[in-house]
Amino acid sequence: MVLITRKIEFSASHLYNNPALSPEENRRVFGKCNNPHGHGHNYTLEVTVAGEPDPVTGMVLDLKELKEILEREVMQRMDHRFLNYEVAELKGQIPTCENIARVIWELLEPKIKQGRLHRVRLYESADLFADCYRNGAAV
Amino acid sequence: MKMAIDNRSDLAELGRSSAAPLRGVKIELGRRYRFAASHRLHTEKLSEEENARMFGKCANPHGHGHNYMLEISVSGDVDPATGMIANLAELDTFVEREVLDVFDHHSLNEDVEAFRNVVPTTENLCIEIFQRLRGFPKAKLERVRVQETTNNSFEYAGENGRVQP
Repeated sequence: MVLITRKIEFSASHLYNNPALSPEENRRVFGKCNNPHGHGHNYTLEVTVAGEPDPVTGMVLDLKELKEILEREVMQRMDHRFLNYEVAELKGQIPTCENIARVIWELLEPKIKQGRLHRVRLYESADLFADCYRNGAAV
Repeated sequence: MKMAIDNRSDLAELGRSSAAPLRGVKIELGRRYRFAASHRLHTEKLSEEENARMFGKCANPHGHGHNYMLEISVSGDVDPATGMIANLAELDTFVEREVLDVFDHHSLNEDVEAFRNVVPTTENLCIEIFQRLRGFPKAKLERVRVQETTNNSFEYAGENGRVQP
């Protein structure tokens, strides 16, 4: 099995607020991330696909195709957007790294036909990231 | 602005609706910290000549320092009320208390009890940090990765753990 990773970057804004909590509780739990008008990050996304290289092409999957999937599913949906208000898949969820990574996994998993989605790593900053990966037996 | 306010009411479901766990998929939170510390690789169990041969410059008598980067990964259920595996402020406070306050701007050999009789290689540092952080009460520590310089890094995931997925 070979792993192949493609990286993209997008910029988006978000805020953390749970309407079930009081303003004071929101402030206590989420700190600055609760500021009412939101704030933004440069996100870095690493998508790893696992598979065997095709004997003819030598590729696990066509990177061009992966690039197109990432453009369609992630960039067009999230780049230069306010994640809370403009990304339907995040509706009703706090747009944390964990939740965004999970949504990206759910968007990409059915679209990758050659090889198998192995890991989604989403960096919110250089020091904070979430990993969503296939757990269990090797692909 | 109006759109933002209207859409905000959609969030009213939040805290009650929770996304079902994905089958066969695991989510981890990764966090990086930095500390600077000195060490000397040297053991009483070897002669001076053997120490010099084994550890080279790292055995120089007064030690030397590195800017270490510590990366930790924790797993657990994503709390639907916060969207988080672990509250970041709580995790940071714990790591500061257990590791950064103890190691940062210190001599690993002189100031950390665990390295009085154990060579403070980055392998051993990984194990020591893992032991110190495995007690984090809000999430499961999966692994630690320590970068000693930008050219070398070490990982430890406990006795039965899984290194980088």
